[in-house]
Amino acid sequence: MQGPDVLWYLVLAAILFSIGTAGVLLRRSPLIVLLSLEIMLNAANLALISFARLHGDHDGQIFALAVMAVAASEVVVGLGLIVAIARRRLDLDVDRLRVLRG
Amino acid sequence: MTTGAWICLWAPLAGALVITLLGTSITRAVAAWISTLSVFTAFAGAVVTFVGLLGRDHEEREVVTSAYTWLATPNFRVDLSLLVDPLSVTMMLIVSGVGGLIVLYSIGYMDGDPEERRYFAYMSLFVFSMLLLVQAGNFLLLLAGWGLVGLASYLLIGFWHERPEAVAAAKKAFVMNAFGDATMALAFFVLMWQTGTLNFLASFEGAAGLSQTAVNLVALGLLGGAVAKSAQIPLHTWLPDAMEGPTPVSALIHAATMVTAGVYLIVRAHPIFELAPSISDLAAGLGAITLLVAGLVALVQTDIKRVIAYSTMSQIGYMFLGAGLGAYGSAMFHLMTHAFFKALLFLAAGLVIHHLANEQDIRKMGGLRGVMPKTFIAFLIGSLALVGIPPLSGFFSKDSILASALASGGYGQVLFVAGLVGALLTGLYTFRLFFVVFLGEPSPFVREHTHDHAHGEGPWTMMWPVAILAVLSVVGGWLQIAGVWHPFGEWLDPIAFGREHLALVEPTVTQDYVTSVIAVALGLLGIYVAWMLYGARSRPVPRNAAVQDTLEHKFWFDELYDLIFYKPAVLLTRGLRRGVEEPLIGGSISGVSVGTRETAGVVGEAQTGYLRSYALAIALGVAILVVVFVSVQ
Repeated sequence: MQGPDVLWYLVLAAILFSIGTAGVLLRRSPLIVLLSLEIMLNAANLALISFARLHGDHDGQIFALAVMAVAASEVVVGLGLIVAIARRRLDLDVDRLRVLRG
Repeated sequence: MTTGAWICLWAPLAGALVITLLGTSITRAVAAWISTLSVFTAFAGAVVTFVGLLGRDHEEREVVTSAYTWLATPNFRVDLSLLVDPLSVTMMLIVSGVGGLIVLYSIGYMDGDPEERRYFAYMSLFVFSMLLLVQAGNFLLLLAGWGLVGLASYLLIGFWHERPEAVAAAKKAFVMNAFGDATMALAFFVLMWQTGTLNFLASFEGAAGLSQTAVNLVALGLLGGAVAKSAQIPLHTWLPDAMEGPTPVSALIHAATMVTAGVYLIVRAHPIFELAPSISDLAAGLGAITLLVAGLVALVQTDIKRVIAYSTMSQIGYMFLGAGLGAYGSAMFHLMTHAFFKALLFLAAGLVIHHLANEQDIRKMGGLRGVMPKTFIAFLIGSLALVGIPPLSGFFSKDSILASALASGGYGQVLFVAGLVGALLTGLYTFRLFFVVFLGEPSPFVREHTHDHAHGEGPWTMMWPVAILAVLSVVGGWLQIAGVWHPFGEWLDPIAFGREHLALVEPTVTQDYVTSVIAVALGLLGIYVAWMLYGARSRPVPRNAAVQDTLEHKFWFDELYDLIFYKPAVLLTRGLRRGVEEPLIGGSISGVSVGTRETAGVVGEAQTGYLRSYALAIALGVAILVVVFVSVQ
């Protein structure tokens, strides 16, 4: 049970989450946005596992597994959408894909 | 005996149901015969009941028979029960007997109508409803019959539903009758509240202990129903319009049976009316006014059926006069003879109308005597009976009512004079119609329609009922001859529920004979004037524009009701639409919808379609939440 303190894992998770958020907010390609989302999700998973370690129980780990399952499903849908957009020869640019507005 | 009464009640309903359920799988003729048979079965039941009652002592001629309990609460109970007593049996005999003859007549009259089956189903339904009305053993059942005859009347007036006038007339009849039904229902509520029962016998006993106000209210409500159903002023305007229905319907419903239900109601509920003398006087007064007004209006009508319709109103006015003054036996007697001779007049008029290709305007008729000799004789008998010429039936019954009026004090004598004037008018309008239609040279219109009718005046199904009714119109009055014998009065006597005598007024024989002499003289004078003006045409008909106008507009009753009820109602609703509906109700609803749409327009601006702006909003929201949570801790 030796290694860096739990605090450092949490710092890493926060850095990863910030990187992901920046990616989601700044990039225009839906593919990259999706990748950034995955980074955010995994940052969250890292935090969950860290806390599980800190508290010495398994709840966080189980929760992380559930997040992975949801993330996988979400990627399937997201990538499906991206493929569909590409097939219709639309621009892969989230700023141009703005038909749905009020 | 009670079995006979039940058969009498259910047979016509069974007929109506069978015709309805079999639908087009039977021919029209079969439907007609089913209906006729069902009504004659009812008549047979009525005769059995009559014979059964005759075999009993006076005191035991009052039988209540219940099929089952219709409605039961701890304090209040209504049975599906029939009251069989001389009064109801008299009505059963009239309704089913005259009804059977008229339904038989309809077979010929309605022949070839595409919807004959519907007609006969309605006719049977009507006879059932009317029998329920007269046989009912309590007020609630009576009200059910009362409403059902109104329905049947509505359906039959509007039978030719492709004619807008018929539909309008049906609606008018229904609305005016509904008014009467409502006042009657209110009277029953008061009765139920005060006495706790609606059975005839019990509620009459209970009514004796009520306050004068309560009794007056009950009697007034009952009178309202009677006035509406019997087409008395002020609820009379529907009856002339009801002539839009087929002629046999006019004969059965709007002359012989249904319109006399008001008289029956007053006689049936006479213990209540006796407790409220002012209301009884009101009934008699309304009858007197109606008989005068209707007699005057009948003088100028040009539609053969409308003349007879006004005459019906006038004759029922006599019955109200008699019933209101307490001469119940005389009123019922006139009801019976009137059913005979008025049905006869209508059916004879139906023969004329049938012969002349449904023409009802008497100005186009004339000289029918040579063309339709049998109809001529039938119409003459009916007219003489109506005017009250001895020895025909109307003489005995009308004069007994007038003699009772003479015998009942100062108020009665005023009404007596009104009745005598009515007798003069009756002679005048009846024979105006008779002379115009039957005497003189055949008009061009009549000649045009004569040559293609080689097969006589009508089929036997039409001629026989007319013949039977003609005989009844002659002999029907002999049941009661003043000062000689009174089997009819004695027969009706025990219905007074233990009272000594049915009639409150007993005219002396002298009064009877004086009345007869004056009334017959006035009737003959009326006939003479009609002869001078319309028969011999030796004098021109006196005309006065204002009088003519008033009479032709039937004393402006329709216009008056238009002004009092229709116009204000229209103005009120229009005001409500402009003042309440459009700005408040409609405005609030459209306000909600417009407001929603406008708000949506503003909020919708936030949905830009830029994915990244959504993401930024989420990130900012999370950041704010984090700051809040941290700072709160």
